[in-house]
Amino acid sequence: MSALLSMEHLTGGYGEADILQDVSMSVLQDEIVVIVGPNGAGKSTAMKSVFGLLTIRGGKMLFDGDDITGWAPNRIVQRGICYVPQVDNIFREMSIQENLEMGGFLKTGDLSAAYDRVYELFPDLKERRKTLAGSLSGGQRQMVAMGRALMLDPKLLLLDEPTAGLSPKYMEQIFQICRDVRDTGVAILLVEQHAKQALAFADRGYVLAAGKNRHEGTGADLLADREVAEMFLGG
Amino acid sequence: MDLFELLNFYIVPGVVLGSIYALGAVGITLIFGILRYAHLAHGDLATLGAFLALAVVTGFGVSPYAALPVAILGTAAVAVGIDKVFYEHLRERPKIVTVMASLGIALMIRAVVQVVWGVDTQTYTRGIVRPEDYFGIRVRDRELYTILAMVVLVGVLQLFLTRSKWGKAMRAMSDNPNLALLSGIDNKKVVMLTWVIAGGLCAASGFFLGINTELKAMMGWHMLLPMFAAAILGGVGRVEGAVLGGLIVGVAEEVSVLFIPSEYKAAMAFAILLFMLLVRPTGLLKGKVL
Repeated sequence: MSALLSMEHLTGGYGEADILQDVSMSVLQDEIVVIVGPNGAGKSTAMKSVFGLLTIRGGKMLFDGDDITGWAPNRIVQRGICYVPQVDNIFREMSIQENLEMGGFLKTGDLSAAYDRVYELFPDLKERRKTLAGSLSGGQRQMVAMGRALMLDPKLLLLDEPTAGLSPKYMEQIFQICRDVRDTGVAILLVEQHAKQALAFADRGYVLAAGKNRHEGTGADLLADREVAEMFLGG
Repeated sequence: MDLFELLNFYIVPGVVLGSIYALGAVGITLIFGILRYAHLAHGDLATLGAFLALAVVTGFGVSPYAALPVAILGTAAVAVGIDKVFYEHLRERPKIVTVMASLGIALMIRAVVQVVWGVDTQTYTRGIVRPEDYFGIRVRDRELYTILAMVVLVGVLQLFLTRSKWGKAMRAMSDNPNLALLSGIDNKKVVMLTWVIAGGLCAASGFFLGINTELKAMMGWHMLLPMFAAAILGGVGRVEGAVLGGLIVGVAEEVSVLFIPSEYKAAMAFAILLFMLLVRPTGLLKGKVL
């Protein structure tokens, strides 16, 4: 099966400095791929590069048959990639329903099918759809943020540390939601700080260090790898 | 002093003045929320609106109220034009650059008004209007219309912001600009819409100040401080807050005459502004802190 997203020998960063050096990774359809690595490894940067948020000086980005290298974010959104930032990822002073509506802003015509799909994934949100998003708990906010990104029926969802600051209970819930989302046919690329848990749940993983590819493989293989284990689990 | 005296001489004029401030403050708060700078040409834009209405009244001999829609449309167009010609080019620069530019725009608008309409005070209609008596409360028709117009205009705006797609997009842009862009919301259209609304409300504000007092080139400039006090008092980015703030500042200015010499009336707005910034910079309704 050909890859939905493939990042090929990407070099780039913000402004002058190259944070990513010759990074390659791919995401297949129906796959959850996690990027892990120590602080400052360029995990979030790698993900933002997919979304056209940094200057790319080498390599290319292919998505679903198109070369999307250097595309502007709004064009990438329309092409089928939605991005959930780590912080400030909801409209706090708008209701849950309105957050979703803004997520579907580019969609012309009726949004009701998209609402139904999101509320099916997040039944908790449906009951509270008139509630202001800013008054929700951290886990629920993350659901709103993911729901907003899913409104355009993306083929690929980018999640920047979706479990940051969440309790273990919520972390498990978010992971479960990711699986549910994947099962509806949306591939997910996410960055995780909780490497051990994330590798255990993801289909495949990439370990970045200092802006370069270090390891890659299935979650289980990486967890079994001694060097990876030392990196994250303290030996 | 009995209750009716307080109501008729201080509260009613205060609410009328407050409604005029509110119309301007709503625009200020929208611009603050979406574009994130203080727009110092707001008062002079109101002056322009008032004089545009005067031009229609003298040119076509119609009633001032018939001239109001024309003034609203005209001022909205001018506001959009000013943004396109001046502010748009400063978008990527530090906000203080735009704030200073808006001060320059204020002087330019005022100069245009002075060149076209002169520096003398003018009025829409001549003659004395006696107030009507409603159960002991005396209100002039024009005062009633001022309050009514403010309620209707702000009500329609609120409906637009909460019900329509583009109104929600404006709120989204004010709430979280980055996420709005990630969602594909066209920020240029939102900015233009903001200027149409702010410009139109400015014209209404200037018009009602003109019809309740008189028209002069400095009328809007003198409203700038109370309008900013109202916007900050209510909470920056909060439309309903700007209305509340406007009414409080208006009533406070009128009632202050009971305690301090009337020449110092204008200082009330300044005092309220200072007090709010020190005690509760988010305003009464929890707005943004800029």
